[in-house]
Amino acid sequence: MVILPVSTGLIYATSYSLGLTGLMSQGFTTAYWGEALSSQDVWSSFLYSFWVGIVSVFIAACIALGLALGWQRSIQQGKLSYFIFLPLCYPATVMAFLVHQWFSPSGFFSRLFYNLGIIDNLEAFPIVIRDYYGIGIILCSIFLITPFFTILFSNIYKNERINELENLSKTLGSSVNQILRRVTLPILFNRSKTTLLLFVIFVMGSYEAPLILGRQNPQMITVAIVNKIQKFNLNDIPVGYAMSIIYVLIVIISLNFSGILKTFQNRKISNI
Amino acid sequence: MNRVLKYIYACLVVFPVIFLMAMSFAEKWRFPDFWPENWTFKNWSSSIFGQGDLLYSLIVSLGISLMLASLVCVISFFVSKEIAYSKYRKTYMKLTLIPYILSPIILAVIFQYYFAFTSLTGKILGVLIAQLFFALPFGIVIFNNFWNDKILSLEQLTFTLGATPKESLLKAVIPLSKPAIILCFFQSFLVSWFEYGLTRFIGLGKVKTLTVMVFNFINEANVFYAALACVLLVLPPIFLLYINKKALILKQ
Repeated sequence: MVILPVSTGLIYATSYSLGLTGLMSQGFTTAYWGEALSSQDVWSSFLYSFWVGIVSVFIAACIALGLALGWQRSIQQGKLSYFIFLPLCYPATVMAFLVHQWFSPSGFFSRLFYNLGIIDNLEAFPIVIRDYYGIGIILCSIFLITPFFTILFSNIYKNERINELENLSKTLGSSVNQILRRVTLPILFNRSKTTLLLFVIFVMGSYEAPLILGRQNPQMITVAIVNKIQKFNLNDIPVGYAMSIIYVLIVIISLNFSGILKTFQNRKISNI
Repeated sequence: MNRVLKYIYACLVVFPVIFLMAMSFAEKWRFPDFWPENWTFKNWSSSIFGQGDLLYSLIVSLGISLMLASLVCVISFFVSKEIAYSKYRKTYMKLTLIPYILSPIILAVIFQYYFAFTSLTGKILGVLIAQLFFALPFGIVIFNNFWNDKILSLEQLTFTLGATPKESLLKAVIPLSKPAIILCFFQSFLVSWFEYGLTRFIGLGKVKTLTVMVFNFINEANVFYAALACVLLVLPPIFLLYINKKALILKQ
């Protein structure tokens, strides 16, 4: 029930990309694959998605680390825990809309800076939405995934009894800096690296935020694939299918190489 | 200082809800005005009680999400049991994780032909089935941790004591699995509630869930209605968080 639809879907996508089926089908051809593999736009989309994924996860993990270590007790119990969980209630669509309304040149912060006299016109506000570096998409992803990481780090800190290890290190004469570098961070990183890598893939595959906050060139890979498949040019559809197969292969191969599938299947989902 | 930082953080995470609420009551908000020209109930009254398009979307979204959450709970409960006690548990779980890891929009792209072939595109049933393919692995992963040796031994004990398979399931296994069922229900509900790409692609924009409506309003440059749709999207998860978190804290 889970695998059959995916595999039949992949078979159809592969057939379409090889010219074996579809409206423009003229028999077996590798031309569409050649076009997809040699297209600079396709590879820049993959690299752009990877850039957005890796930067978002890195910044979100740093913020979450600070929150989890600083407010450990408050996160596990008390009223603050509600506020830590609250951002999980915002769907990507809502968060992307909010980022657009806050950071666009005529958005909330632009109005605020104008009224405070920091900027004197629309153009003076820095371009954050639909910019080359994907800052808007990165901001949106950070808002969305930081609470997950905060809860993750907080749970690891509690379950691995890092507090007791820190106290032991302190008794043995370690400084605060040494405890952080040699005890706390290595344990947290080792226990969370699988999830961090998975989130890079999740951000790479996000669709709503790039649709609202992204630009035409470079595009995130999901938007690029959908654009190819929904275009009026029928010759683009097989290329779009070839791109989707490349995406699936890259995800599966990278997960297998990093051993994520093996380790993730044995992990317990944290009860949030 | 720490207390002040906590208050700042709390204000920051609540700010989106306040901002969206304010926008949903706003009218004519031109740059560089910091506040809208008018505050009005018109957006709410016309879209919920007047034309009723957002009320319809709210009902459609709730219907799809509740139906999906119920289906995922029932199906993944039994499927995960078969997987958990199978000789090939690791292989099955590895295969289960593939749709879980792939982007929903990519799944929609590769499923699309079969939905068009069976005339399920543009229909609520089609969206529900497409979401099921994506949400089911979530449920299986959640329940997979529940089925362990302890539960197996307990089930065998009930049989030894003379219970029928039905009695064992209803009076022993299901009560024990209540936390997993609640978690699975909430997670599946949220997966469906938050979903846009797959719903838009398989629903062809005809299945107007709240997320689809947000994008429609954005494309029409009607930001006040988009904000209203966002408020409707955010409130049910906040309610679920309140119940779920409270239950967890009380349990602790």
